[in-house]
Amino acid sequence: MLRFENLRRRFGRLSVLEGVSGEVAPGQALLVTGPNGSGKSTLLRCLAGLLSPEKGTIEYREDDKVLETDERRRRVGYVAPDLALYSELTVAENLEFFARIRRTSPAWGFEVLERLGLPADRMGGALSSGMRQRLRWAWALLHRPRLLLLDEPFQNLDAPGEQGTRDLLIEHLDQGGLAVVANPSSLEIDRVAGHLRLG
Amino acid sequence: MLQATSVLAKPSAWGSAEGWAAEVIAVFVKDWRCEFRTRYALNTLALFALTTMVVMSISLGPIGIDRTRGTKVLPVLLWVILLFSVSAGLPRAFIQEEESQTATALRLSATPSALFCGKLLYCLTLVGALELLVTPVFVTLMNLEVISPALLVGTLAAGGYGLAVGSTLVAAIIAQARTKGTLFSVLAFPVLLPLLLLAVELTFNAVAGGGGGVALPQLLLYDASVTVVGLMLFPVVWNP
Repeated sequence: MLRFENLRRRFGRLSVLEGVSGEVAPGQALLVTGPNGSGKSTLLRCLAGLLSPEKGTIEYREDDKVLETDERRRRVGYVAPDLALYSELTVAENLEFFARIRRTSPAWGFEVLERLGLPADRMGGALSSGMRQRLRWAWALLHRPRLLLLDEPFQNLDAPGEQGTRDLLIEHLDQGGLAVVANPSSLEIDRVAGHLRLG
Repeated sequence: MLQATSVLAKPSAWGSAEGWAAEVIAVFVKDWRCEFRTRYALNTLALFALTTMVVMSISLGPIGIDRTRGTKVLPVLLWVILLFSVSAGLPRAFIQEEESQTATALRLSATPSALFCGKLLYCLTLVGALELLVTPVFVTLMNLEVISPALLVGTLAAGGYGLAVGSTLVAAIIAQARTKGTLFSVLAFPVLLPLLLLAVELTFNAVAGGGGGVALPQLLLYDASVTVVGLMLFPVVWNP
């Protein structure tokens, strides 16, 4: 269960989030929409533990245990346009490296790659924007997180890529996972339990 | 639902020292793999060090400076070369992660202490390689006679470690700032100054035939202190 209440985050004088609240239960997704600059990415960064909200609370439970921010940060699966992996490494080397530091097997990440049709031997720097998005998905799912935070998750994907990632999202929710999906416009996703409009 | 949920990750029981060490080595190997493919730091460090040594050799070398003055001046120049070569290449260890936007993936995946130690290990081997390249060439080009080679090796090891850990810590602090270059100089000055003073004194002793005195334990104490401060400070500066 993920619950956040009354979140506030400002950058200098610019107020990006003000009094934002929401919750997601296992097997459900929360859709966050709003125009550019409305704070969708900031909200997801706060939920991931990459930014600290100035006010408000974020409570995330796994197995009836509330996780501290440091623990939550390492558990979430996060897809975002500003997240990059190593261009000097191949796709496989990227997944193997992150599997090692996450102390997990890269097997599931490679399976996701295969399902999304991304060649493992391609250099990170030689990937198209759609391929980079597929790699972000494989990286985000590598450690089988229960909470997925997806910022514009279908950006730059062609039809098969979008279908593949949507299938992965639905499977994740079917298995009792949670997801927060941020997008500028509304998305048709099954199991959306709530819709948070920002801006 | 219960059966399906079990596929998702359970909290890892592998929170051991072994897992932590594997994380450190993974970061170290990744950094060297990236470095071998781009050669950014290697080229910068080697080019800067060699150019400076050749210029110094022509100006102050065997025919440019007598032995008495050389004994006083050359240890300082050796550490100036090492310091500036390191300043040109080492801060990239963290700044590169921020600039290429890979820092977010690291923040979400790595244990901060393991990341710091992995980066430190990478910087340490880079400084070691630099010292292995620079010192013999410098000694030869400057016709520098070393009376206590063991003390020189010990000083280079302890001083090199100090340079690596100090630079890694400062680089981690400035990585998220906008004016990285200026900040590195401003922050590195107070952090690295005591180290350089001690390293120069010990190198002078090695060249002139003196012993380690109190400077050697002080240098080792400096190394230990900066390592502890780095390990304590890094999680705070790395995460929001």
